[in-house]
Amino acid sequence: MATPSAVAIEDRSPEKVQYGPTDWMGGWKTCVWGCLAIILVTAVHWWYTSRYAWTVGIDSSTPEFTKYFRSLVWAELLIVGAGTGLWWGWLVRTGREIIDKPVTPEEEVRRIAVFWGLIAMTSLTLYVMASFWPNQDGSWHQTAIRDTALTPSHIPMFYFWFPAGITMTIGTYLYGRYRLPKVYGPDKGFPWSFAFLIAASVTEMMQVAFNEWAHSLWILEEIFAAPFHWPFVLYGWLAAGIFALWAETIIRLLAIEREKEAEVAAASSAAR
Amino acid sequence: MAIARTAEEAAQFNTLLNKKYRFFDYKWDLVFWVTALPVVAAAADITKLLFAGDWDFWTDWKDRQWWVTITPFAMIIIPSAIQYIQWLAWRFPTGFTYTAVGLWLVSWLGRWLQWDVFVNYPLNFVWPASIVPAAILTDWILLKTKSFVITSVVGGMAFSLAFWVSNYVTLAPFLQPVEFMGSVLTLADVQGISYLRSATPEYLRMIEHGTLRSFLEETTLVAILFGGTVATAGYWVGQAIARILAIWPIMKFMKKV
Repeated sequence: MATPSAVAIEDRSPEKVQYGPTDWMGGWKTCVWGCLAIILVTAVHWWYTSRYAWTVGIDSSTPEFTKYFRSLVWAELLIVGAGTGLWWGWLVRTGREIIDKPVTPEEEVRRIAVFWGLIAMTSLTLYVMASFWPNQDGSWHQTAIRDTALTPSHIPMFYFWFPAGITMTIGTYLYGRYRLPKVYGPDKGFPWSFAFLIAASVTEMMQVAFNEWAHSLWILEEIFAAPFHWPFVLYGWLAAGIFALWAETIIRLLAIEREKEAEVAAASSAAR
Repeated sequence: MAIARTAEEAAQFNTLLNKKYRFFDYKWDLVFWVTALPVVAAAADITKLLFAGDWDFWTDWKDRQWWVTITPFAMIIIPSAIQYIQWLAWRFPTGFTYTAVGLWLVSWLGRWLQWDVFVNYPLNFVWPASIVPAAILTDWILLKTKSFVITSVVGGMAFSLAFWVSNYVTLAPFLQPVEFMGSVLTLADVQGISYLRSATPEYLRMIEHGTLRSFLEETTLVAILFGGTVATAGYWVGQAIARILAIWPIMKFMKKV
């Protein structure tokens, strides 16, 4: 039984109440729809690049390149920039309103499920940026001449998915900071798990700048395993911090189970 | 299933097995095992691509000198990290296999969509090497020895050897000799010459130099042996990633200034 001041499941909008905290369309909805959205955006992105890269993407000095690819860069930067600002802003604004309000165990479990959904989306985003597009980057560079930093295989990878990695890692932290204060609340300090995960996405973005600078200086022939590509790998390993997120929230879930057991036991002994 | 050593232990296991949870159900396990796979596979793939990618991209680069030396090192790192995590958390000797299956999936997705469909290279020229058999073997070594040290030494060697043996099945047809413009080459070499790679170094001018050839028929074995020792080192790189970056941070917070 929730305390009167707690944010009960029933306080949330009626269409959400029909699902429990661990139903697929309850707490896991973020995971299901979020991952499907990432797959859909990736598919559209890949179709667009495949459709136009070989016809108008070879020479960055042409008007067609400007029309189909420079405009894509601007669209990507606008979408990821505005989307990030809106999402982070919403998380902080609404988070400040609810961080101090007590929650029922059910609501906290639901939030952990949403948090796991965000981790899932982060995991998928890291795959898209660190495996799916690098494969195209390899096939493109080893087949076509490296033109500029705005070559077709870079445009989805470096200017949309790499920033999206930062959007997801920091956004997931903001969700945890304000919605799961017993795990990631500001009074605890900054978690090392998120420090590593966020560092992975931020340093990968910084490595993009080094990569382009280095390509402009050193080699025209593309050796994919060239030493100045290795920092991409070293920084990527920092994403191992994602495992600590699962562990930390599992520990909290076990604590909620114990708290609920104690609450039920206390209620039944009071009834007797 | 765990085997109890005493009646008391059996009773504890029984209680644990039959415990009814309010919030834990199969979905947490399912979501974890499915959604961890993309980041695990991505880490394994980017490590392979940027440490040994050139040798994995093309059949003519899959040689007996560098491919079998470098690739096992690049491909053992992330499986080792996941093996540590899964053994620590569940006593599951499955980390190598889990990673290998994920890597297999993302590698083939990448080669199919980004190399075959996007650039029109045939898949029999750009197929990725597999570590699934080598991974099962290395997990089995941990299961039997329960020791990361032994797994690193014996498993590292076994991983390297199994890598060559299992991929040789796919590679062998491309190593058949053919006469091409008056020279005897392998079929893989002819693929490398026939399919244009305007920004890729020609591998024929990079390999088959040095004195390794003086070992005659033992060339491959020497390279596999050295690859095994390098893979042993790679195993500990993976262990460091898991211990320092994945496990150590759990419930650790930076002090507020």
